[in-house]
Amino acid sequence: MSKQHHDRNHHASIATGVGDPQCFKGKAGAPQFKAGDKVRIKDLPDLFYTRCQVYARGAVGTVTQLVYESPAAEDEAWDNTDAPEWFYSVVFPQKELWPEYPDEFSNDTLETEFSERWLEPA
Amino acid sequence: MSEHEHKPAPMVEEVSDFEILEMAVRELAIAKGLFSAEDHRIWTEYVHSLGPTPAAHLVAKAWLDPEFKKLAVEDGVEASKAVGVDWVLSPPTQFGTPSDYCNLRVLEDTQTVKHVVVCTLCSCYPRPVLGQSPEWYRTPNYRRRLVRWPRQVLTEFGLQLPSDVEIRVADSNQKTRYMVLPVRPEGTEGWTEDQLAEIVTRDCLIGVAVPKPGVTSNVKWNVHKAVHPVEHH
Repeated sequence: MSKQHHDRNHHASIATGVGDPQCFKGKAGAPQFKAGDKVRIKDLPDLFYTRCQVYARGAVGTVTQLVYESPAAEDEAWDNTDAPEWFYSVVFPQKELWPEYPDEFSNDTLETEFSERWLEPA
Repeated sequence: MSEHEHKPAPMVEEVSDFEILEMAVRELAIAKGLFSAEDHRIWTEYVHSLGPTPAAHLVAKAWLDPEFKKLAVEDGVEASKAVGVDWVLSPPTQFGTPSDYCNLRVLEDTQTVKHVVVCTLCSCYPRPVLGQSPEWYRTPNYRRRLVRWPRQVLTEFGLQLPSDVEIRVADSNQKTRYMVLPVRPEGTEGWTEDQLAEIVTRDCLIGVAVPKPGVTSNVKWNVHKAVHPVEHH
């Protein structure tokens, strides 16, 4: 994406009085996943910037809720707000993330968020 | 008297590299017209006015009113208005705080689930309702270890939980900011909102402690003094 003129007030003009991520509501289209779906976190290349933790890549978790619509952090870092995505909160058993996690505490979990590009059905 | 004792005491004991970087970027931004020195002053004053009182009252209200608890869990941003915080309009920007966004999620503890909050990628924190994060929350030590060894880290805070309690770590890696709604402790029957809010400390709201009647301060550690402390000559 290249723009001839970069409008540095673009974000302020859409978010003022509305809030962020509220200003992207309704802009991501139909969500691909729903609460309860099993998903695997993709291990995409992340040159330059990402907010998808390395510890979650390849792990299988369960979507707890659809949280909001927003440009993915990987785009927004470059002020690219053209293609908002659905964001999902996903819960993992700790054992899935850390194989050495003690069996005695197999109830323990971790919850975190991903934009849609990072998820695939599992 | 030795030579070095005649030197004047330094005005500032220590300035870190990051403080120098912040000053340089700030001065450049002002010179370039991205924001004014006045904008910066207003913003700094707003940030320094914040603290954990709104979040503590949000919890106390939720303990007293089941309907409000339902609202808090479903829509933390809306519930925050009842404790005087509008996530969108309270900050001087009028669109939230640039790094905190406007998506508070209140994580409700039960007898079998205990939440604890971290940001492994940086130091995301629900500042409009909790104020500035404590120094330890921003350390790589806490951020790396809490996700992987949560029980060990909680034990260091003095919180040991049985294995039938699920510990759920919330890693705030995107635009949601989390606060914990702990279980109301026994021995608080008949308390007012103000009394309840007093025992909901910052540590309880992050999830590294649980509220107890009579405990109104954060966890304290024994600090070992440096054997060879740095001297400023």
